[in-house]
Amino acid sequence: MAHISKEDQDYLKKEFAKMINPVKLINFTQAFECQYCQVTRELLTEISELSDKISLEVYDLVKDTEKVKQYQIDKIPATIVEGTKDYGVRYFGIPAGYEFGSLIEDILDISKESTDLSEETKKQLKKLTKPIHIQVFVTPTCPYCPSAVRLAHKMAIESDMVRGDMIGSSEFPQLVNKYSVAGVPKVVINETVEFEGALPEPNYLMKVMEAEGKQKVTK
Amino acid sequence: MEDLIFSLKKDTGPIKLAENYDVVIFGGGPAGLTAAIYTARAKLKTLVVEKKAVGGEAAATDVIENYPGFPEGVRGAILAQRMEEQAKHFGAQIFYGEPVNIELAQQPKSFVLSGQQVQTKTIIIATGTAPKMLNIPGEKELKGRGISYCATCDAPIYADRDIAVIGCGNSGLQEGLFILKFVKSIVFVEFMPAIQAEKILQERIMAHDNVKCYLNHQAISINGDEAVTSITIKDRSSEEIKEIPVGGVFIYIGLIPNTQLLQDKVKLNDWDYIITDEKLQTSVAGVFAAGDVRETVIKQVATAIGDGAVAAVSAQNYIESLK
Repeated sequence: MAHISKEDQDYLKKEFAKMINPVKLINFTQAFECQYCQVTRELLTEISELSDKISLEVYDLVKDTEKVKQYQIDKIPATIVEGTKDYGVRYFGIPAGYEFGSLIEDILDISKESTDLSEETKKQLKKLTKPIHIQVFVTPTCPYCPSAVRLAHKMAIESDMVRGDMIGSSEFPQLVNKYSVAGVPKVVINETVEFEGALPEPNYLMKVMEAEGKQKVTK
Repeated sequence: MEDLIFSLKKDTGPIKLAENYDVVIFGGGPAGLTAAIYTARAKLKTLVVEKKAVGGEAAATDVIENYPGFPEGVRGAILAQRMEEQAKHFGAQIFYGEPVNIELAQQPKSFVLSGQQVQTKTIIIATGTAPKMLNIPGEKELKGRGISYCATCDAPIYADRDIAVIGCGNSGLQEGLFILKFVKSIVFVEFMPAIQAEKILQERIMAHDNVKCYLNHQAISINGDEAVTSITIKDRSSEEIKEIPVGGVFIYIGLIPNTQLLQDKVKLNDWDYIITDEKLQTSVAGVFAAGDVRETVIKQVATAIGDGAVAAVSAQNYIESLK
């Protein structure tokens, strides 16, 4: 049975008809698929079948070592939304529930190579001199999480210095423990700055700029 | 996996704020979205300003069973999404942000949103409520480390743990049912001698054998160093103190109105809820209030929707009277 309803398929086809550049969904799984790997792959397959402009590549975390290294993948299921380049937009865990909408919006933004971030935010992002790694912990049922994920991804699209990861809390309990996640959305930037809750764009940007001043990580 | 997708946000693209509106609605919960459906459908230029996510408290409710038309119940998120679509369908704009410098007294009314001055003939306040804090030792200190006010957001994180839910009203038991899908056990703590929630919810909760209720008990502290490890409660009759080991606490003891931005601008009651007349007009002409944020005896999606419709029609009549 299809994960995407006929009604939603029809809607998505119309939205995807507006796409400009092709978008590639890159999925990492493994031969013996993890709990959420199979359903993630199925969901991405269904999305890719809705538009000629969307393609899907599936790689194995164990066997495809070069790709794993290229995209810096350390856990699965992982999904990368790639356009004319790798913008640093990552989903670790299933992009379902509220986050399905985030994935669709990412595809549309990456296809047109722009976002609706304010001019002020774009200007500030251009000033970044150090890599910024934003990890956003979510659950699929959290209505406040997509805005935190989307801001991380929009910043990744606008700046080569930013990588934004959505991280499913149910899929990665070891990371939930490591970062003491007790409520979502929880945002961890460069291992040095963290906050809980959905912040408006200017406040989110301030946290990113605060992290930039603190520590260097590899994108 | 059920409900793999329930958030297909049918966006119409970035919103370009206009300088003038007929109706601006603060808050995108059921009351605000209903008002937007009515005013936009009446061809009034309508803007909804939402701070966090549309749907308000309803969107953070797992299943709503007493909203007419859905015999099996409806996920709060889906109901909110459909209301949002309906409001947009009629032409309402939804903008995410928080208004500042709100001026209600004059005509037109004005405020600043995302740095831009906006004017409007009427304003409908539908900012809803926020969870009330217990204000006991440990609550502030352990915030973000095992205390939650949103079960639908956070319950999956507490998988296989023993949990406490404070408050046995409808919210506490409804969300308790969702939490039970994930956790090992729940201890409910209720201040009153009897459970306040609807009978149907009580029966469902009591059907679980991993649930215990402490009635007539007061939560007096939440304990832990790095994270929540226990909760201390007091029997209000015997004054006996008990410390119960738990790995998380969900708090559902009531709500406070989101009227912080409106202090001294419209008349509020002693609990800061907005006072309205039967047309839902506030103490200021052309400013209306709808839903949980106003002084009302029942706070339900069904009543919020009724409020939204009344406030919208009243706003429309007010605009007519300006001509």
